[in-house]
Amino acid sequence: MKFMLIHTLDESAFPNEEECGVPVELESWATEMVGRGIELDGARLHPVSSATSVRRRDGRTLVVDGPFAETKEQVAGYDLLECRDLDEAIAVAAAHPTTAVGSIEVRPLEDGAPTVDLPEPDPARQRYLLLICAAMGAAPVEDAAHADRDPGHDPGHPGHDSDQDDDEDIDRWVDDLDSRGVRLFGWPLQHPSTAVTVSRPNGRTMTVDGPFAETKEQIAGYDLLECTDLDEALAAAAAHPVASFGTVEVRPLWAS
Amino acid sequence: MTDDVALAFGEEWGRLVAGLIGWCGDWDLAEECAAEAFAAAVVAWPRDGRPDRPMAWLTTVARNRARDRIRRRTTESARHDALARLIDQAVQPPAEVGTGGVDDPEIADDRLRLIFTCCHPALPMPARIALTLRTLCGLTSAEIARAFLVTEPTMDKRLVRARAKIRQAAIPYRVPPSELLPERLDGVLAVVYLLFNEGYAASSGESLLRVDLTTEAIRLARLVHGLLPTADEATALLALLLLTDARRAARLRDGEIVPLPDQDRALWDASRTREAELLLRGSSGHTGPYAVQSRIALCHNLSERPEDTDWATIAALYSLLPATPVTELNRAVAVAMVDGPAAGLALAAPLEGDLGAYHLFHATLADFHTRLGDPAAAAISLRAAITLAPTPAERRLLRRRLAGLSLGMTE
Repeated sequence: MKFMLIHTLDESAFPNEEECGVPVELESWATEMVGRGIELDGARLHPVSSATSVRRRDGRTLVVDGPFAETKEQVAGYDLLECRDLDEAIAVAAAHPTTAVGSIEVRPLEDGAPTVDLPEPDPARQRYLLLICAAMGAAPVEDAAHADRDPGHDPGHPGHDSDQDDDEDIDRWVDDLDSRGVRLFGWPLQHPSTAVTVSRPNGRTMTVDGPFAETKEQIAGYDLLECTDLDEALAAAAAHPVASFGTVEVRPLWAS
Repeated sequence: MTDDVALAFGEEWGRLVAGLIGWCGDWDLAEECAAEAFAAAVVAWPRDGRPDRPMAWLTTVARNRARDRIRRRTTESARHDALARLIDQAVQPPAEVGTGGVDDPEIADDRLRLIFTCCHPALPMPARIALTLRTLCGLTSAEIARAFLVTEPTMDKRLVRARAKIRQAAIPYRVPPSELLPERLDGVLAVVYLLFNEGYAASSGESLLRVDLTTEAIRLARLVHGLLPTADEATALLALLLLTDARRAARLRDGEIVPLPDQDRALWDASRTREAELLLRGSSGHTGPYAVQSRIALCHNLSERPEDTDWATIAALYSLLPATPVTELNRAVAVAMVDGPAAGLALAAPLEGDLGAYHLFHATLADFHTRLGDPAAAAISLRAAITLAPTPAERRLLRRRLAGLSLGMTE
């Protein structure tokens, strides 16, 4: 089962982030988790000042500096894990050095995520994490009507009756980016009500039910892109079906 | 700075920085080396004479400094190695400085790329303005900080962050492709327009006219118009700024604001109005917001006396602008001049919900009430306007009106 770890930090507590290298604990965590076959992908993001949010309203694309929501802690990185169950994912998150200084939201991916097979980074291009965000409504009711529904690429937006149309829109978006070699990976996350947030403020692991911040919009899915420049990433974000009612946050990755 | 160098700085800074960024892709390095090239010119030009081709001279010196810096960096990352290799390959060994060794085509005019990147919508607006003033106009961060009433460290941080975002998020250094161009050009013009307004009517503080910012805004508007001569809105914006600036000398008397009808029109700069009139020739069919605003401004500037103003045309022009509450308020003023204050009041009063916190809304209502012979209502509106006015000079103007009103009442 796949889980996304969403690392969050209060960046103002780390004024010279750009100058600090990769801490030793991070290296050893990554080495261990890759070795155990748990870590499939992961990256640190540039500071939130490099974030851009894209929305499409009334046929117009709105590009705004900043993240999808103004929260005290900001998304600083992510990992994609393959774990037996939630408890293993929580333990893996708790062992990550981020929990000493910030917190990690653990979110299961919707079923059916493809195999992760990422190419080597192209040094001439920039990688971006697209956080697909939308107001999510209440947790979905688990009943027979939902059980057989293929989640597809739909990042699960509520109040939309035409789920099938939405699936088709998302498929078109994915096909277009994939055919141009722009999109490397992406999948919807399960509802934020499934989230667990892990931190280790004084050496003791704390596990809290729910996402890292109670914001109107929540992260509903993500996509990893490799683009020639920000304009290409912004165009992809603006074309995402969720951009017409939610927000797509575009974050550049550190070159590993 | 010697006169020659100062002159070259004003003319060439933006082009030098823009060209260097295009050449090496590193904004910090480009600015540092451009500054060093001008510092070298301060020493060399008085001694050896001003070179025949100052731009070529400055570019050669700046590129040499950039190469030196890249080689000297001891903690060189792979990226810098690659950059150094790239530069060595791309650039011919420099000819002797001062003989104009750099070919002109090589020093492409990259200022258009620079301004589109500085005004990229992914950057916060204050950063767009600061970056434009720093890289294109050559203002120091201390000067920009002063103009925007923030501390120098705050302004430094803003600039550092903006450059970091350009680098980290890979904001492209280019003139946008045609499908993005109209929208992005709007963004560039908005920065220039904001800059001018900031300089013309400081939104806060005692110093009412910040001449530097209006001058820089006009310089930038000229630059954009010069580089994109067929862009109607860029032309119109330049005209609008010139027409507004033409009234500058008449706008203040003894440190106090003088409203348009009371201004001494002999002080208006007729040459600026003429230049704008030429720019706007043949634009009567254009309905872009700057085109319409500039034609409204031209109506005012061409009226020798306030009573000559063609208010009917102005009212018609306002109805061409997107119907925002502020536009509607201005239209109400024009309609009141044509059809009387009652007609103006009927248009303006319903805007209370949107403009209740805007001092000029209440000042306008006060004017209508006064002309309708209702000084009591006018006084109420003026008091509201005084409470809301953002600058001391505007508050003083409104208080004078209120005092005039009481005088009228007691008579």
